[in-house]
Amino acid sequence: MYSKSMEPRIVGTAVPRKEAAAKVTGTAQYVDDVSLPGMLHGVTVRSGHPRALIRHIHFGDGIPWHEFTIVTARDIPGRNIVTLIFDDQPFLADGEINHPEEPVLLLAHENKDMVRRARQHVFIDYDPLPAIFDIDEALQAKTIIWGEDNVFKRYCIEKGDVDAVWSQADFIVEGEYSTEAQEQLYIEPQGMLATWDPETGITVRGSMQCPFYVQKALMPLFNLPAEKVRVIQQETGGAFGGKEEYPSMIAGHAALLAWKSGRPVKMIYDREEDMAATTKRHPSRTRHRTAVSRDGRLLAMDIEFIIDGGAYATLSSVVLSRGTIHAAGPYRCDNIRVRSTAVATNTPPHGAFRGFGAPQSLFAIERHMNKVARTLGLTPEEFRRRNFLRQGDSTATGQLIKQPLDLARLQQRALQLAGYADKLERFSRLNREGTRKKGIGFSTFMHGAGFTGSGERHLQSVVHLEARADGTVCVLSSMTEMGQGTNTILAQIAAEALGTSYEQVQVLRPDTAQVPNSGPTVASRTAMVIGRLVQSAALSLKEKLLQAALLQPGYTPEQFQSACREYICSIGPLKTSAQYEEPPGVHWDDEKYRGEAYGAFSWAVHVAEVTVDTVTGEIQLDDFVALQEVGRVLNPVLARGQIEGGVAQAIGYALYEKVVWRDGGMANNQMTNYIMPTAMDLPPIRVYFEEIPYEHGAMGAKGIGELPMDGPAPAILNAVENALGISFCHIPLLPEDVLSELSVAREAALDLAGSVV
Amino acid sequence: MTPFTYSCPKTIEEAIVAAESGPDVRFIGGGTNLIDLMKMGVEHPRRIIDLNKLPLKMIEEHNGGLRIGALVSNTDAANHPLVRSRYPVLSQAILAGATQQLRNKATMGGNLLQRTRCYYFYDPSFEECNKRRPGSGCAAIKGYNRIHAILGASDQCIAVQPSDMCVALLALDAVVQVDGPPRSIPMRDFHRLPGSTPQIDTNLQPGQLITAIDLPPIPYGRRSVYIKVRDRNSFAFALVSVATVLDTRPDGVIRKAHIALGGVAMKPWRATKAEQLLAGKKPDENTLRAAAGAELQPAKGYRDNAFKIELAKRCIIRSVQSALRAG
Repeated sequence: MYSKSMEPRIVGTAVPRKEAAAKVTGTAQYVDDVSLPGMLHGVTVRSGHPRALIRHIHFGDGIPWHEFTIVTARDIPGRNIVTLIFDDQPFLADGEINHPEEPVLLLAHENKDMVRRARQHVFIDYDPLPAIFDIDEALQAKTIIWGEDNVFKRYCIEKGDVDAVWSQADFIVEGEYSTEAQEQLYIEPQGMLATWDPETGITVRGSMQCPFYVQKALMPLFNLPAEKVRVIQQETGGAFGGKEEYPSMIAGHAALLAWKSGRPVKMIYDREEDMAATTKRHPSRTRHRTAVSRDGRLLAMDIEFIIDGGAYATLSSVVLSRGTIHAAGPYRCDNIRVRSTAVATNTPPHGAFRGFGAPQSLFAIERHMNKVARTLGLTPEEFRRRNFLRQGDSTATGQLIKQPLDLARLQQRALQLAGYADKLERFSRLNREGTRKKGIGFSTFMHGAGFTGSGERHLQSVVHLEARADGTVCVLSSMTEMGQGTNTILAQIAAEALGTSYEQVQVLRPDTAQVPNSGPTVASRTAMVIGRLVQSAALSLKEKLLQAALLQPGYTPEQFQSACREYICSIGPLKTSAQYEEPPGVHWDDEKYRGEAYGAFSWAVHVAEVTVDTVTGEIQLDDFVALQEVGRVLNPVLARGQIEGGVAQAIGYALYEKVVWRDGGMANNQMTNYIMPTAMDLPPIRVYFEEIPYEHGAMGAKGIGELPMDGPAPAILNAVENALGISFCHIPLLPEDVLSELSVAREAALDLAGSVV
Repeated sequence: MTPFTYSCPKTIEEAIVAAESGPDVRFIGGGTNLIDLMKMGVEHPRRIIDLNKLPLKMIEEHNGGLRIGALVSNTDAANHPLVRSRYPVLSQAILAGATQQLRNKATMGGNLLQRTRCYYFYDPSFEECNKRRPGSGCAAIKGYNRIHAILGASDQCIAVQPSDMCVALLALDAVVQVDGPPRSIPMRDFHRLPGSTPQIDTNLQPGQLITAIDLPPIPYGRRSVYIKVRDRNSFAFALVSVATVLDTRPDGVIRKAHIALGGVAMKPWRATKAEQLLAGKKPDENTLRAAAGAELQPAKGYRDNAFKIELAKRCIIRSVQSALRAG
């Protein structure tokens, strides 16, 4: 028996996942497991051109077209726009094509093979237009493809006066860093099943992160009020941001086909379509100009951060915002300027992906800090130690660090855990011989949890809790379980706050007809922000029982359950809710981009150890230490899983996963040629937490999901630099890139030898 | 998948008779490649003849060497004590391929006929593939061709043969035994370069059945090594691989070198030029570099795979150096 005073009871323990049994026994219902009578299968006919005008659509011979439901832009009953931020992307191209995967036409038929075959027999004539494919072409603006200047959004953060510093600096260090696109590669491809009923309207069920985003996009598409657009999440097999905004598109398509045919329509992408057509991580380019004093103090940081958003704005402005705010890293500096731009190109729109702009700009700063340290003749750890943000300092946006923060200690602990000093010494000895060189490197970084700036205030998230007559309590929110453990931690928080058992708390599957809008399941906000609302609603519910004198302090879970039963029988429904309230002292200026950018930051130090084969260019990770401070850990197994998974995904980002573009389309949209690491390629990932409870987070928790995506790539490239003495500034770093640099180095050495002779 | 009929003959004679009925017939062993291709819509056999009841699962001594039945699984061959002790390069090559589960199922005969992993061959949604649809073009030449051929390609096809096992068999001068009618095909004559008929992978005739693979006696077979460079440690085909077997004198001079490359051409590539340049020499750095350079002299890179030329040279050098230390 636990004693009553023993804390924690449920939070902080590794309870079994809520949905684990259904998943491992195969009873979990993913969208493709659902079939409805009379259901049709839908497919999308895509443009195949990066930029063009549609001249004519014709339908080839040999297909019984009269059996098909066909939808074009002209059929759309409402607004042909995927509602998001800038309202620029159509559901179906209307005359104009802006990327090679742009949807032009929809087909549905009872027979899945038939509809796939028919897709090959729709022929579209185009008048090609000039297209642009990278950041430089977009900025040159010789061809304008979006707005007046190919720019979706610009930001400028200014702190102090950067330009006043250059002349006093002992050193000025410049660097350029770039990152490429990355595909989310969730296990379950995107899919939706839509039905239409003239009385009740549209119902869409499928794989998604944000049911209310889908609802918001479908309402204007059909000119329907919210109560006539119902969105239900099915079991979702991974998302990583890839199912934040794109599901609105496929849901709209399935709904249009259902509306036109009057029958249920299912659309499931295969892997190749999913990889080619859906959003990926934004490619980026960052330039740093840094002024430092001889004694290793950062005097000024001038940063230019540019991301490629693809053909439509989607979430690029928000991704840019997060990348901009994180661009100066966890360092104190009185003079910081970050100028950032999101540009348009004729590729499919890039979008949300775990980290959301931060992995790009943090890659740059964490590579650049090593370069500055080298210039100064300091070790990377000593240079960082002299410049870490501490409690009482302010960030680039002027956010005061109120929480206890000791990054120097975090760094020291991580380096100790990794055996850093010993290995540095040992590797430099070992590397004098042989063709396999060993290296060790690290990165120090942070991730802001929750929506940026005034985002959470605008969202006004709501959560309901409802007790049932059997004594169980149900959590109602729009937070989606997609494999990350939402249902488990929300139930843990509720059970702990209520004083009932974990098993007695159920988490309702999000259905816009049944749950309140708690905002999207993104931005590492679920545990910290929504968990806190669950905690508040739970405390209110408990208070009702205490006030009704149905419970006495010190009650057991069994007593709690019978109190619920009694309340419902004698008094009535037992239901509470909680709505987001901004913590006191939080200010954000959207114009000047100054103030409290995030409720809280999580902090981390990651250390990577590599072996580089100088004959083949192959890089193998030998060890990885991930130490982070994420507030209170709600569930140690899930938290560890988040870190291990994030590190693995970031190893892919750093060393394996390359999206190859041809004329704006992904040329390697197969899992045989878009290479992701397997378990065999991963090092032991050693995960450690420091727990400093955050007073405004649920039970002290901060965000965790995105943090581990931010640090591994620069840590790995820092380790490669340690091994080879070659500084790589671009990811992914593939064996051929290493080989090419090594060949250059060898030829240079041979030339030198030749000239001596 | 297209519907097909299925039979499971009990003798080699029955299998050969059953295969005489036309071009839409396929033998099936482990099925690890054929079933995949049928699901993808690349292969459309009308008749499947299952070989698994045939008595072809033995590994036995034969003429001083070893005879390995066509139905022996990759796993059993790789782990067989005689293979491991006399021909370690074959064991290493097999174990470098695919995954444990696939190796348990895949057969030696089937692996000889493994089809290319060219992305464009494997996916019928690409219209152009001369190997899949003769005359339709080659999507790889202008497409993404990182894994493609640098040697022996044609303007019709730049695919590569993906089997690791075949590279080792070529280095070991193995001989493929077929029936219908009985015939011996040396490994070096088994696979074909694409030329103008890229749809034909091998010199096996329709209806002929592989019964066994013979390994000749190689007294110095232990002095051998297989190295493979691939994109990840599992589930990846070779970017470049090298199988090397060396006959050396006590003073370190190479009497005879057997070197075969994988991942570079539509057949496992015997590095005869390099072998000639190494014969009778002490393999110092310069000799090795010259030999590797000569072998790759006719190599041609495409947009994404030019790095494989330098990589192949480096792998030849590493492979010979490693083999010198082996055995």
